[in-house]
Amino acid sequence: MDRTLRARLEKRFADRMSGPVRQRHDTTEIRIGAADLTEVMTALHDEPDLEFVLLADLAGVDTGDHMQVVYHLWSARTPDWLRVIADGLPRDNPRIATLTGLWPGAEWMERETYDMFGIIFEGNRDLRRIYMPPDYTSFPLRKDFYLPDDAARSPGGGVRHMERTHVPTGTPGRVARRTVKA
Amino acid sequence: MTTFTDPIGQHASADDPRIMLDNQIGAFEAVPPYPPRTEREAEFYSLRDGEMFINMGPQHPSTHGVLRVVLKINGEQVVDLDPVLGYLHRGVEKLCETSDYHHVISQVDPLEYVSSLFNEWAPVMAFEKLLDVEVPRRAEYIRVLTGELLRISSHALFQGWMALDLGGLTPILYSFIERDEIVEMLAAITGQRMLFNYFRIGGVNGDLNHEFMSRLGDWMSRAAKQHEANIGLLNENEIFVRRMRGIGKVDKDTALRMAVTGPNLRASGVAYDVRRAHPYSVYPELDFDIPVRGRGPEGGDSLDRYLLRLDEVRESLRIIDQCLHAMPDGPIMARLPRLLRPRPGRAWAAVEAPRGLYGTYAISDGTDQPFRMKIHDPSFVNLQLVGMLMRGNLIADTMAVMASLDPVMGGIDK
Repeated sequence: MDRTLRARLEKRFADRMSGPVRQRHDTTEIRIGAADLTEVMTALHDEPDLEFVLLADLAGVDTGDHMQVVYHLWSARTPDWLRVIADGLPRDNPRIATLTGLWPGAEWMERETYDMFGIIFEGNRDLRRIYMPPDYTSFPLRKDFYLPDDAARSPGGGVRHMERTHVPTGTPGRVARRTVKA
Repeated sequence: MTTFTDPIGQHASADDPRIMLDNQIGAFEAVPPYPPRTEREAEFYSLRDGEMFINMGPQHPSTHGVLRVVLKINGEQVVDLDPVLGYLHRGVEKLCETSDYHHVISQVDPLEYVSSLFNEWAPVMAFEKLLDVEVPRRAEYIRVLTGELLRISSHALFQGWMALDLGGLTPILYSFIERDEIVEMLAAITGQRMLFNYFRIGGVNGDLNHEFMSRLGDWMSRAAKQHEANIGLLNENEIFVRRMRGIGKVDKDTALRMAVTGPNLRASGVAYDVRRAHPYSVYPELDFDIPVRGRGPEGGDSLDRYLLRLDEVRESLRIIDQCLHAMPDGPIMARLPRLLRPRPGRAWAAVEAPRGLYGTYAISDGTDQPFRMKIHDPSFVNLQLVGMLMRGNLIADTMAVMASLDPVMGGIDK
């Protein structure tokens, strides 16, 4: 855990963060609103005392309640990983700015996230499905995606989460989909 | 040979006679039979005078799996290209959400099947962070030892593939001798030759045994010499070198902006290795160097990427040697309950796989299954470079560039 990084982030992004800086193991985490993404990422990438030059990962998350896009960054200035959570994307119309201006290599990662979650990255020049066929209509990693599992409809169904939460709408005894506070 | 001279934006429809002909012989249509979805797609699938499409893959021997690439060519020159992925997509991330923490290990194994121990390592490390487990030191040493062995086997295979894609048949046979020795060795402790399913949350599945040690000792006594001999087989081959030198140059800034990691990044002059940048396991205790090439302003070419992997094999041999000398006694598993329910939280772990940063982001919701598991495969990001590097090159160089990036489609398609 890098305490100085925490202080620097708190000072620099005090008015942008929607929660405290969290640190656990070798990861420092900040949480921002989706609207501030471009500004915060540009600052993280360009400013000489931050210099997060490598985008290690871009992940979509469906918490069941809303959507997030999670970025992991690397900088030579700190021994920690930096996790930036762009929070609070509505599930019915998730939209966020693209990072292809800073990292052209984010293009495919954003295409993958679009393919799996339906998150629209505004400004990505090539936002089409990357794994699923072009005529595919649903987004498989969303939590309300129906996993056609025979076990869910078997007499023993409902014992495990998968069977409880992936039952199609209208099935008797259907419970709310799995959610998490992430 | 008819050339496509469609006006811009006019896409072939299903009743187009040319497409019918393609269907009759069972070939792929280069132009998709639906309207373009993005500006980039519209731009790519419109032809200027003298240009035509040629379809490569998905069953092409030099695409390292089932990758399909639509090349837009002008004569022998590649103008642009559009990789089409998804032929191996199995939805592993979704499967992980419905399997418990121990099952995840076998789910992620077949992703990057050439070096599958690294597929296990990243999720296992992420779960250990979620659970706050301390892994016994002997287990960590075994992980490093087996991991580095597999790195050597992966790089040896790369060397052979590289030559094969450039038309040399012999080196792949020598590569498979090396790989066979190593997988047989690992089979002695894991029971598998390819999808090992060996790492466990909190340790490893089995201790080192006599067969493994005797095979390893036997191999170590001649590994370095054999490596140099294999290098001698290729590195002085003039055709091989001349087809790679100066082709597919990537400079430092471009490599970082394309989010490339692993040997491809280090061959462009950036000394970034997860083993040193974010030390994990027992790597801080081990003495090894991070080979870097292509430090000049022009960056590294295909030859640099090839040579860098050979340098890495030497470093891996050093690490294995140290592991064998420093291997402590003790347990190989931490004491954990059979059913794991980590407290709700998030964890990210990354390891340096033979192809670059292999990461896992796991979210726990307090149940025995991960709520979300994101797998970051290095080949997926590295493959994006192909589109950039190939423009202006000849079709024949497509193979040299793609092989030098060392993609594995199993990991790319997840």
